[in-house]
Amino acid sequence: MTATSLTTDAVATTVEMPVPMWRQRLKIFTQNKLAIASVLYLLLITLFCFLWPHFHPTNQTNQNLAINNPINQGPDSQFWLGTDSSGFDVLGRIAYGGEYSLTLGFLAGIVTIVVGTLYGMISGFLGGVVDTVMMRVLDAFLSIPYLFLLITLVTLFARTATLLILTIGLTGWWGTARIIRADAMLIRNLEYSQAATTMGASKWHIIHRHVFPNSISNIVTVATFSVADAILFLSTLGFLGLGLQAPQTDWGTMLQNGAELIPNGYWWEVYPLAAIFILVVVAINYIGDALRDAFEVRLLER
Amino acid sequence: MLAYIIRRLIQSIVVLLMVIVFSFSLPYFQPEGIYTPAYSVLGTHATHANILAWGAQYGLNHPFFVRLWNYIIALLHGNFGFSYKQGQSVYSIIATNVPRTVWLALSALLLTLVIAVPLGMIQAQRRNSVFDYAGTGVAFVLYAVPSFLLAFLLIQVFAFGILHLPSQAPTALAPWAMFTNPVAFILPVATLTLLGVAGISRFMRGAVLDVMVQDYVRTAKAKGCSARRVLWRHTFRNALGPIITLLGLAIPGLFGGALIVEDVFNYPGLGYQAYNGALNGDLPLVIGITLLVAVFTVLGNLAADLALGIVNPRIRIERSGK
Repeated sequence: MTATSLTTDAVATTVEMPVPMWRQRLKIFTQNKLAIASVLYLLLITLFCFLWPHFHPTNQTNQNLAINNPINQGPDSQFWLGTDSSGFDVLGRIAYGGEYSLTLGFLAGIVTIVVGTLYGMISGFLGGVVDTVMMRVLDAFLSIPYLFLLITLVTLFARTATLLILTIGLTGWWGTARIIRADAMLIRNLEYSQAATTMGASKWHIIHRHVFPNSISNIVTVATFSVADAILFLSTLGFLGLGLQAPQTDWGTMLQNGAELIPNGYWWEVYPLAAIFILVVVAINYIGDALRDAFEVRLLER
Repeated sequence: MLAYIIRRLIQSIVVLLMVIVFSFSLPYFQPEGIYTPAYSVLGTHATHANILAWGAQYGLNHPFFVRLWNYIIALLHGNFGFSYKQGQSVYSIIATNVPRTVWLALSALLLTLVIAVPLGMIQAQRRNSVFDYAGTGVAFVLYAVPSFLLAFLLIQVFAFGILHLPSQAPTALAPWAMFTNPVAFILPVATLTLLGVAGISRFMRGAVLDVMVQDYVRTAKAKGCSARRVLWRHTFRNALGPIITLLGLAIPGLFGGALIVEDVFNYPGLGYQAYNGALNGDLPLVIGITLLVAVFTVLGNLAADLALGIVNPRIRIERSGK
């Protein structure tokens, strides 16, 4: 407790390694209790959707077999959340529809972010005439009512899972491209990018070594919101009767089918799923918000 | 400023032309291509020659660019094409439906602003208070509820639970049904308003927070401005800029929301027509409505841009300087 420990303390503080950036960010993220709760909730729901059918297999695809089940029956010991109008077990169907909703939403969000990032990076980085043209094209896309375009495209093509992912993904990136472009323009004009340019670095080198790594935080945040949006739009398509075709289903289609029967008092076909669904979107958006905070440079310890 | 307005106008026209080219190309992606209307008009027994003859009659056999040119000329004459499914011109369908949707969307938009702007400001002023957290929480949940589900829940609670509001919008076709039967509009307008408030109040809160840390706000406080003057004169006016831009961009979403609301509440309007048009493969109708909304959006963005110059003199100077 005397001189020795004092010196070691002093040494410890002077040679202490700087905490890596990602760790500081992780710390900010994990200090946010609600963000952790959101992550846990999403994990729980995802595990439920993908694993529950294995623990408690229910028939979710054969309408002929399902018809032997009681129809629109309330929850009991055999059907924990009752059955729907086709005789499918509702709890099992929530998991089955969730597999589609979550997977499609996730993949469509990924398509959105990839296309939007590429477009925004190229436009923002090249600047000049290319940027002007690309931005006017984007303006044109942004002035088309998204939902109108979506339902038109979905009615033109077959409603398979792949095509739904592509339709939602390839039409959802306009806002993303704008954000990423602003980022790329900003970073392009920062000192380190300009230094690289003076040293003769190629444009491609600057994009993938400087612009892309430095906008990754924004990309990740926007990607989170894209997934939430894609899940919402998929559910809207389902509500409009343009979701996956039976016997496949998604949460939007299930909510629509259940909502139609609510006057008969079949609450179990809507409200449990509605709560799960809303909370999933809340959780994803909240994670996005918390990520944005974690990436905020101002909050890092310096 | 005049040079800026002219440049902006040219930009808008270019954007509109691109929307036209895009929507003009859409029918080529139908299963039977641009000849699809011929099949629905002539029926299943039409021979290939019949189809081609019908197409020639309407100029479908011309090359892409000739058709595009004719299409643009027709648009300039107010001719949006013909809805073969409904047997009337797209223009007449739009003309009867536009007032109803615009009433619905505009009243929701006004109400949204009246609620969301003060809400966002109060939240920013009392940051991290219970009120702020409650507002953020509600906005977060509302933001996550799909519009159809929100409409459904509102109907369950306020039409069948308490208050017993009408669960259907008036089906009377007159646009002034809004005034003769205002009660029936409460739920549709409330749905759109709540969705709008969720987004805009959060945005307003952020905008006010951004302005509150600016040097000029501190200067205003330091030179002894009253809190009220700092709030309205310095903070509010500067925070308004982003909101005005957002409003211009929000127009397509507003019509998208109207589509769902019109469908849920059985309210015949543009969205209702567009949805049924898409379901029936009535592309001329869908494209006509899409173009109209695009025109609204482009005009809205233009208006927002010009309004920005009015509320913020700095932007005006910046623009005339270059």
